Amino acid sequence: MNKAALKRMTRRTEFYMFIVLILLCVLVQIKSGGKLIAFPGIFTRLNVTVLRTMVVNGMFAMCSLVVMISGGFDLSFPAIAALSYSLTCTICLNNGWCQNSPVVGFLLAAAIGWVLGMLNGWIISNFKLNTMIVTLGTQTLFTGISMGLLALKEITSTLPNGFKTFGKLYILEGVDGKIRFTLSAMVIFLILLCAIVSFILNKTMFGRALYAIGGNEVSAERAGYNVKKVKFLLYSSVGALSGFVGMIRVCMESQSIPKAMVGREMTIIPAVILGGASIFGGEGTVFGTVVAVAIISLVSNSMLLLGIDTYWQQFFNGLVILVGVTVSALQAKRQKQ
Amino acid sequence: MSEYLLQMTGIDKSFGGVHALDHVNFAIKPGKVMCLAGENGCGKSTLVKIISGVYTRDSGEVMFEGRAIEKITPADATRMGIQVIYQDLSIFPNLTVMENLAINSEITANRKIVNRKRWEQTAREALSKIGYEIDLHKKMGELSVADKQLVAICRALLFNAKLIIMDEPTTALTKKEVDALFKTVRQLRDSGIAIMFISHKTEEIFEISDDVCIMRNGKNVFLGETATLTKKDFTYYMTGREIEDDYFVPTNISKEPVLKVEHLTWRDKFHDVSFELRKGEILGITGLLGSGRTELALSLFGLGKVHSGTITLNGRPVKISSPIEAQRLRIGYVPEDRLTEGLCLRQPIADNIMLSSLKQLTRALGMIRHQELFEKSNEWVKTFSIATDDAHKHASTLSGGNQQKIVLSKWLNNDLDVLILNGPTVGVDIGAKQDIHALVHDLANKGLAVIIISDDLAEVVVNCNRVIVMKDGGIVGEMTGDRITEENILDIIR
Repeated sequence: MNKAALKRMTRRTEFYMFIVLILLCVLVQIKSGGKLIAFPGIFTRLNVTVLRTMVVNGMFAMCSLVVMISGGFDLSFPAIAALSYSLTCTICLNNGWCQNSPVVGFLLAAAIGWVLGMLNGWIISNFKLNTMIVTLGTQTLFTGISMGLLALKEITSTLPNGFKTFGKLYILEGVDGKIRFTLSAMVIFLILLCAIVSFILNKTMFGRALYAIGGNEVSAERAGYNVKKVKFLLYSSVGALSGFVGMIRVCMESQSIPKAMVGREMTIIPAVILGGASIFGGEGTVFGTVVAVAIISLVSNSMLLLGIDTYWQQFFNGLVILVGVTVSALQAKRQKQ
Repeated sequence: MSEYLLQMTGIDKSFGGVHALDHVNFAIKPGKVMCLAGENGCGKSTLVKIISGVYTRDSGEVMFEGRAIEKITPADATRMGIQVIYQDLSIFPNLTVMENLAINSEITANRKIVNRKRWEQTAREALSKIGYEIDLHKKMGELSVADKQLVAICRALLFNAKLIIMDEPTTALTKKEVDALFKTVRQLRDSGIAIMFISHKTEEIFEISDDVCIMRNGKNVFLGETATLTKKDFTYYMTGREIEDDYFVPTNISKEPVLKVEHLTWRDKFHDVSFELRKGEILGITGLLGSGRTELALSLFGLGKVHSGTITLNGRPVKISSPIEAQRLRIGYVPEDRLTEGLCLRQPIADNIMLSSLKQLTRALGMIRHQELFEKSNEWVKTFSIATDDAHKHASTLSGGNQQKIVLSKWLNNDLDVLILNGPTVGVDIGAKQDIHALVHDLANKGLAVIIISDDLAEVVVNCNRVIVMKDGGIVGEMTGDRITEENILDIIR
């Protein structure tokens, strides 16, 4: 790596976040007496829990990341997820579907999410409205549909077996003293999704369109991108993905609770910003986002271990929002000069 | 084949009831620089948009390379070799130089997958067209405006451009950068490319263009070689009226200085700046971008810092720590960028005019007497002949010159001792410019002390009875009366 490239790297938020993550790992490792990483074997009860927390948060963060790169804010993805999985589980339960295989459920949830995302995309690309306002509206609308119009109920013990067994799949198991722990197979989906999103962002013209639109929408239009089409495709795909991620969560928790997603965007979006995505659009990477999600998951899971009251979680989340937004704004300012 | 690359005859275009273009003729030869000149709203941009295919003409004929062209779409224009470099340069500040250079042709080639190697190749090819060298992996946002412009030019050349249209490319450039840009423009011209240069700066047009097309109110009033025009003709064609340079003659200079600045220093911005200013004077402060001229003004208005030195106002030493303090001391400041710093664009004209004198208009509990606000602001609309029928309309509905008048009247409402004008006529038409200058002369002769900060040397020469030249944060020259000429100032600056 040459000097200029090294210098560029040290200017990126991702680089510092990665250092913070390493330092945090060292701190937790020492404070907990070696409970974070085992030698040999690496996996411990703590780090499989952290990874488990990262699955849904990380996948949601990808939804949020792609939208933020294009210069938008999506507040509605948790509501889309909630409506998609609640409706899917109710339909599957009523029809007796998915007793063995969860595939139909996942397809159905993604399809519902896709339709809901299309509404976002249609409004945003046609009327050129502020994305935060639009998705705030649709978020409330979708929550209203699920709670009021359809009156979807919580499904816990009656959840179709296909989902339950799928969520319990694991790729690794170990024993900590007498307690058995497993690494959920859902981690594979997170890794796969990160790889796909990273490929799309860096290696496809669609991905570059997101950066271009986030950087300067007028220029993107003049350069020959069909901005309307790109945005529609973006929001509808994010909708489909949200539905899918929602189903992963249902499987992992073995329950479908319509209200469970409320306010989730307020922990995901700050994480994405902390990971180097700019609130003004045009900046952000998969790596940075994953690192930021890892930091947040690590902190929230090791608080008890470190003897910190869990009430501090809120404090920490607030801090993340402020630090993330400040760093993002400072960077934008530096770039302007 | 005709000698012209692009020939347009009798072009008409209306929007609603407004006749934007009225039988406009236009022609450009390959290997020539053609300036399209005209005041704001004269139809320049409409004509450009018809050439680039954004708008469709209502009637008229277009010939390109001797062939009649029926309808032009933006894609057709690109294919024919017409490239527009817009004022904002259409760049992506968050992407690298390489991506900025290559992305347009990648999209045009309808590629789906990114191939870094090919992108880099394309970018290098683009740079080689004018022999320009720059780090391909630098972020576009980190480049200077001049570099950004060169990148935009290189990108345009990738499409085998035969005609490059540059929309007011010199607006944000320093004199040196303009010279460099002109060098590139001549280089392109000599390689046989036709260049259409949109500008309203007289000096530049005479410096760079071979031919000129002047438009006024949707008609072209002149089309021909630049060499056949005098500057006076040019101004006449632009404005439709004879405009004589109206030199400022001070008639009312006070004995005692109203403002005295001694050894003023803002670290890293300017140092050891001393000067005096009397009532009735118009003092010019000029210098290149980054010479410290703007920072000096900010310090005098309480927006900048003062690390050492003193400011004496009416014989009393003062400390100006904030704009509020500056206003209390009767100092007014008209900023460089009136759109973002001088005006609330989406507020009524009347509110803008009265913004800094609201205290005089308040009842108990800080309630504003609206009736009076409008009456007073209407007086200003009349005095300054601000072109509006209703002061309730937003400031954004006005042209640049009229907006500047609002900013001026805002300050004049308060009894001022010192008025600092930073680039008072940037982006203002010649006609409106003249009005503003006359106004400032009048104010000075009524006893106001005025400082004009500007890099428009012609403006400084015409309007100031004394000029201070700054360079690298220090004063490098001062001249008065007849010694103030553009040549003398340039000698010092360079």
